Amino acid sequence: MNNKYDAVVIGGGHNGLVNAAYLARAGKKVLVLERRHVLGGAAVTEEVFPGFQFSVCSYVVSLLRPEIIRELDLPRHGLEILPLDGTFTPMPNGDHLWRVNDHARTRREIARHSRLDAEAYDEYGKAMIEMAHFVKPIMSMMPPDPTSLKPADWKNLAFMGRRFQKLPADDKYNTIQLMTMSAVDFLDQWFETDVLKATMSASGIIGTFLGVRSPGTAYVLLHHYMGEIDGAFRSWGFARGGTGAISNAIGSAAREAGVEIVTEAPIAKIKVRNGRAIGVVLENGDEIQADVVSSSVDPRLTFTRMIGNENLPDDFCLDLDRYKYRGSSGKVNLALAGLPDFKAMPGPGAHLRGAISISPGVEYMEHAYDEAKYGRFSRRPYIDMVIPSLTDPSVAPPGKHVMSCFVQYAPYNLKEGNWDDKRDEFGDTVIDTIAEHAPNIRDLIIDRQVLTPLDLERDFGLSEGNIFQGELTLEQLFFLRPVPGWAQYRTPIKNLYMCGSATHPGGGIMGAPGRNAALKMLKDWKGR
Amino acid sequence: MHDIVIIGGGHNGLVAACYLAKAGLKVLVLERQPSVGGGAVTEELEAGFRISTLDHTPGPFSKNIISDLELSRFGLELITPEVRVVGLALNGESLAIYNDVERTVQEINKFSTRDANKYGEFVECFTRIGAVIAPLLSLTPPSIDQPSASEVWQLGKFGLAFRGLGKKDEYRILRWGPMAVADLVAEWFETELLRAMVAARGISGSFAGPWSAGTSLGLLWQAALGGSPIAPADHVKGGLGSLTRALAKAAESLGVEVRTSSEVSRIDFNATDRVRVILKNDETFEARAAVSNADPKATFLRLVDPVDLDPNFLSKVRNLRAVGTIAKINLALSDLPRFKGIPKEDGPTRLAGRIHIGPEIDYLERAFDAAKYGEFSQHPFLDITIPSLSDTTLAPPGKHVMSIVAQFAPYMLKAGDWATCERDLADSVVDTLSEYAPGIRDVISSVQVITPLDLESNYGLTGGHIHHGEQALDQFFTFRPLIGFAQYRTPISRLYLCGAGTHPGGGITGLCGANAAREIARDVKMGKI
Repeated sequence: MNNKYDAVVIGGGHNGLVNAAYLARAGKKVLVLERRHVLGGAAVTEEVFPGFQFSVCSYVVSLLRPEIIRELDLPRHGLEILPLDGTFTPMPNGDHLWRVNDHARTRREIARHSRLDAEAYDEYGKAMIEMAHFVKPIMSMMPPDPTSLKPADWKNLAFMGRRFQKLPADDKYNTIQLMTMSAVDFLDQWFETDVLKATMSASGIIGTFLGVRSPGTAYVLLHHYMGEIDGAFRSWGFARGGTGAISNAIGSAAREAGVEIVTEAPIAKIKVRNGRAIGVVLENGDEIQADVVSSSVDPRLTFTRMIGNENLPDDFCLDLDRYKYRGSSGKVNLALAGLPDFKAMPGPGAHLRGAISISPGVEYMEHAYDEAKYGRFSRRPYIDMVIPSLTDPSVAPPGKHVMSCFVQYAPYNLKEGNWDDKRDEFGDTVIDTIAEHAPNIRDLIIDRQVLTPLDLERDFGLSEGNIFQGELTLEQLFFLRPVPGWAQYRTPIKNLYMCGSATHPGGGIMGAPGRNAALKMLKDWKGR
Repeated sequence: MHDIVIIGGGHNGLVAACYLAKAGLKVLVLERQPSVGGGAVTEELEAGFRISTLDHTPGPFSKNIISDLELSRFGLELITPEVRVVGLALNGESLAIYNDVERTVQEINKFSTRDANKYGEFVECFTRIGAVIAPLLSLTPPSIDQPSASEVWQLGKFGLAFRGLGKKDEYRILRWGPMAVADLVAEWFETELLRAMVAARGISGSFAGPWSAGTSLGLLWQAALGGSPIAPADHVKGGLGSLTRALAKAAESLGVEVRTSSEVSRIDFNATDRVRVILKNDETFEARAAVSNADPKATFLRLVDPVDLDPNFLSKVRNLRAVGTIAKINLALSDLPRFKGIPKEDGPTRLAGRIHIGPEIDYLERAFDAAKYGEFSQHPFLDITIPSLSDTTLAPPGKHVMSIVAQFAPYMLKAGDWATCERDLADSVVDTLSEYAPGIRDVISSVQVITPLDLESNYGLTGGHIHHGEQALDQFFTFRPLIGFAQYRTPISRLYLCGAGTHPGGGITGLCGANAAREIARDVKMGKI
């Protein structure tokens, strides 16, 4: 590591690495600094227990932009996506809902619950795909600022306006609803089956402090139809070797492009001289100069911690304070001696290879949310489980399994007590909830890792434990993300850029923020 | 034959009638009740006690309409108490928001200096923004597919005004639109009671709690309507019925024919050059066009033959969100109730505006939680007025009437039905009230309970929704009632809408009626009808 680079990237998460790779491919001398001993940030695989490899935080991939996979040639760097087939929802009455990628089978399954819904499911699918096509280009777009007078912004606004205008009447109608409605209100118009609505709407609340009936949650339903793996719509998947393998593939692509990556290199502050970022200072005192600094960590760490509000405009600080993190989810990773046995569908089988969703009904989801609103974690939470070892045996010892449980709601701010004292109680709640559907789970558990929002903050640098580096609510999206006026990857500090999930288009293993930021930085470079 | 038949003699129907008559058209208004007014009526609770049965304060009613139609000449008298709203806390504290900002600041200062300093800026900011949004209220929402030159011009004018605000306020509008009102008030104030009082406007009449996204819209709307985010407490002398009576008088003076006790059963569009409006008693009226002041669902699903409409359109209408959450309790009181922490002598002034019960954001949210599960709140959010304090015509001397809007009482109950739950609802409201006004039960001489079901069956509000449909981002401006049909026209060329189901929505403002009349008159001029 020398002490002078064209660009220093703060954070070796997937966005930081994507950002670095694109900069290096444009001939820049780039250094990536990662605080932890492993690359990947929240997209990381770790051997938490001997022999058991966990996708510790983020656990499925779907939104990784195809252009990034293509341009960085990630398959050659070891990225292999294994399909995650379907979602299995056990119900308390012993019945279940099992949707798979095979449309015809899913249709038959839904017909068991309601013929009407089965028919609606076709219509719904068609409509959503139309919608996804409409929204797709917006993801890799520089968010236009409606308050600006710059031609570039007007061009993008006009582009969106015209696209919307060109939509058929029904798609216009659906788009408006998707952008503004709650997931349940939206789905109520298509379906009558409670468990179907609950399971589908669950995707709308992941990582946000909202309930399935909160307006603005419908939009995320689209993501399921945007997840592209080799261009195939609607499919989700695992990375072979866990989500860390994605980061590693991007890392290797970056290295090949000439990026220097240093781990265990925590940064103390960003050096600013008369309004310009000129480099970073590591916690060990080392100083590194750079023409530009690109931060993939969230705004609170970037500005409040590494720069200090005293060096920032007051209005900007105010907006930073108003930026909502509000982590609402936790993670429980289980090392299992065998496979869980679900009352709703006994024995092993394909239903365990997909996602297993504890979301039996809309009211169940709402009750879970209500508790969080008043500062408790849900007594009966929504849980999204996957057992990657069934698809990718390399992650667990023979015959044994790893199970990853995403849990909502777990509010960062507890009304009573603190997370360090409640961690085990939270873990038990999750196990109890699973046991109601798969009683044998308790006997299978070899070891368990419980991640509370506080742990996500401490260990993974996600402020308030928000997995998306800030809530994905309407007032924090697009040209308002992270804060009004600074949604184009630039910051009030010259030569300092943001390239993490806190920027458009937000969280998830998309890579889009890193890529968009890189393109913006290179454009500015030319102007220099 | 008439030129225009207006179905429904609510305030919007009557306003539309007046403007159409002014435009030289022969107008007939058909009201199914024995008296005009719809949601804005004054009725007798018991001998000598009169009260605004449903809505109790105007939205505020458009000043332009008042002067255009010279309503004061026809007996409209507005009374504006100094107090807009007084919020009550269980510990006997109370916080009054006055029309006068300075006085309010002093009041807030008792709770928090920080909030007191903020309040002025808060009101200014909303007033500034409201002034820019206001023109949109009396604007016909532009067409998205092919905006006309004049629509582009209007939007351009708005765009310029928007720019005039400066970036800071521009971003505020963009941010606040979709924001949860609980977050908005938290950005401004630290006093929980004040937060709750301000947030209340965001949820009133909606199927939403303060933590629901998009509820800040209500405050922006209020600021556009009334120049302040805090709804005023204007009373109409003689109750809201006097407003609609004045409108009816104005209409008749303009040559409008108003027929009460005339319930429309259906509208027949078989003739190409006219519509036929048929009453329950088969009496039939012909006109060049029919205008419905009823809500969109009632209009398209009850009054129109389904064969006249495209099934796809009908399914969209069925999907309109219109699940009411409001119940109304009206009380006749033998004496002015004493409220905790409000000295007897202060009562008449301090209680003259609206009385807000819902001391915390969480309280309001919990009240909403019940609605989600098909129950009515055990501790409801109450918006109360005692109009007799400022209007002696409503109750015998020394006695009073109390009007209570109780939220949340969902139209759909999970267990039981409204017929059987009516009592329990009234109890939960009066019990809640007793916690703040302990002696109230002793002074109640009669109780009137209006459940969401009554709102539907007696007042024709589908789903018991007082705003003719949820006022949320998805049913708003160019999307109200439906995208593509926000210009008061419908898929049927001779049928128009003029009710609160259209832009700018609910509240006693008269704007929907005025906007609709403008569009209809235009179509007449262009020979479309």
